[in-house]
Amino acid sequence: MKRALWSFAIAAGFAAAPLAVQAQDKVIRVGVVMPISGPASYFGVMGKEGIDLALDQLKAGVNGYRLQVQYEDSACSPLQATNTVKRLLDQFKPHIVIGEECSDATLAIAPILEQAKVVQLNAGSVTMKLTESGYKYVFRIFPNAEQQSNPLAAVAYNTLKARTAVILYEKTNAGNDNADGFEKPFVAMGGKVLARIDFGRDVNDFTAIATRIASLGKIDVLPTFGLEGQQVRLSQALAQARIVKGGGGSAVQMGSIWLPYGYDQKAGQSSEGYVRIVQFDPTEKRKVVQDFIAAFRAKYGADKVPTHINAHAFDAILLVAEAVRRGATDSESIRDRFSKMKDVEVTTGKITFDAKGQNSDLSVVHFVETQKDLSWKGMNWR
Amino acid sequence: MTDLLALVVQQSINGIYLGCLYVMVALGLTLIYGVLNQINFAHADFVTVGAFAAFFTVTRLGTKLLGLPDTAAYLLSMVTALGVGAGLGLAINAAVFAPLRERGDELRPLIATIGVSVLLENFQLWLFGPIPFQFDSPFSRETIRIGRIFFTAQSVLVVAVSAVSIAALYAFMKFTFLGKALRAVAQDRETAGLMGINPNLLIALTIVIASALAGMGGALLGPVLVLTPFAGATVIVKSFAIVIIGGFGNVQGTIIAGLLVGVIEAFTVQYLGSGLIDLVVFVLLLVMLVVRPTGLIAERKEENV
Repeated sequence: MKRALWSFAIAAGFAAAPLAVQAQDKVIRVGVVMPISGPASYFGVMGKEGIDLALDQLKAGVNGYRLQVQYEDSACSPLQATNTVKRLLDQFKPHIVIGEECSDATLAIAPILEQAKVVQLNAGSVTMKLTESGYKYVFRIFPNAEQQSNPLAAVAYNTLKARTAVILYEKTNAGNDNADGFEKPFVAMGGKVLARIDFGRDVNDFTAIATRIASLGKIDVLPTFGLEGQQVRLSQALAQARIVKGGGGSAVQMGSIWLPYGYDQKAGQSSEGYVRIVQFDPTEKRKVVQDFIAAFRAKYGADKVPTHINAHAFDAILLVAEAVRRGATDSESIRDRFSKMKDVEVTTGKITFDAKGQNSDLSVVHFVETQKDLSWKGMNWR
Repeated sequence: MTDLLALVVQQSINGIYLGCLYVMVALGLTLIYGVLNQINFAHADFVTVGAFAAFFTVTRLGTKLLGLPDTAAYLLSMVTALGVGAGLGLAINAAVFAPLRERGDELRPLIATIGVSVLLENFQLWLFGPIPFQFDSPFSRETIRIGRIFFTAQSVLVVAVSAVSIAALYAFMKFTFLGKALRAVAQDRETAGLMGINPNLLIALTIVIASALAGMGGALLGPVLVLTPFAGATVIVKSFAIVIIGGFGNVQGTIIAGLLVGVIEAFTVQYLGSGLIDLVVFVLLLVMLVVRPTGLIAERKEENV
């Protein structure tokens, strides 16, 4: 009996210990839901690099609070993301969830977090539906589809004098929204979309697509929305078919912030003349950017250049810390502080959330063109 | 050449190239099914392992250690991938499949292929990480142009290697003692055993050949795929469809179905839209299952392999 009582006491002690720690240690629990497996897992890996770096810099805590992060793999899949978030809510009880990267998975978890009244901070999805569905706990620092596609359409029509376009996009909410975001203003300005060509993430060989494009007549621009790996293959196929400048053709391939830094080196000469908008530019002179790059290289290697994925994840943690610095202690107060944020400077620009939770400041978003030596040339286009 | 004719010829070439890539993957699947009556769910991962083996042979062994030119390094990588695939098949058969088969259970080896698949995927994820590798074959950079038709030297290589592999496999099956013994095992394992043939040895040989083909398929597919530990998964579903359309276990049927699917895909992209590729291929699969469930070439089972 005595032994049983001792066992009970020890077990009760162990069970109570975490509660005691939680009660004494002031923490903000941050759930991170990202693809760590599957074809989009490079998002998760790069995201984790950015978050870990930010956490290193916040080791001393913020306003007496420690940021406690738990990573979960959602595999870019709506089903897995849903299950992951439910488990996270049940077991980890986060004050805020950062994620997901892929729009379909992001949309799947938004209503669950909304119902649980937990803030969702998104740093990588473009779908319009995320901030257009009336969610009160959703915030996004990544430019949405319209914010990315509208300037592309304007530059295509006004600056590049393009009158015909073929839109290439992956068959997802993100791809579709970006394609719509380009087509509507481009057509409204007087341009003509000769074809909208979508493709699944399992498409590897783009030669047949390039052949079809070549048969469509004179094309001025090819706005493209897809993951990096597929974009590399697509650019190479377009160059082989002599459609784009990189292959001796005349069409300009255009891309969005989706594409991480380093794409040009992977695609080689076929990327020459590629025009895209970027938000995080490692060549930018702002101190916050150069400090980030220096810290990133110190942690991960002198030859590594951070991508926008690293930067957005880093910024997401900085924003949580900023909310805590401004007095946030739980999900509700984080939401409140986010709503009031204005011109908070981070590596990807300045953050000012609008009434829908979308970052409305695009002051650092700018165009670059890939040069013959595969370097970027900043273009003064708005 | 008229515009339409040039387009038809170009898409046919695109389709044949794509079909040959599918055939290189599907052949191993159908071979294993033909002999073992077993679906190998890990086949995609053998392709991925082959692609990584080829990648590191080109980028590390061939060009850096041996100082070979790009083309020689890539050709060497195909041999390496073939060897790595064969070795992996041999090892996994000895460690996993053979002991399970000895217990006389048909289901366990099938389930084990799923386990092997998950194991290989995650091992590669741990080893190589998820960020895509850029694997460019020197043959991919060479574009051959004949009038308005274009194709890369890589596509010529893929078609040539596929043709040689198919011919070698056919000759092995038809004209060698081991090939005939293998067909005997496919026909009736027990009776073949009574005739002095060692079925286990021939089953191991089948797995080795199929894995070697998958490995070499990986070397050919590497410069086409987005090379990650999950790369093989993007072609395996279509390869399964090809095996079913061709007739499960039927090598000739698989070859025809592979080329057919490749050409159908190319023309679907041209006239219907690339987003409808899967729909068209799987409607074809369902039609085949309903109209001709034995596949394109219905033969007696013993003739399959």
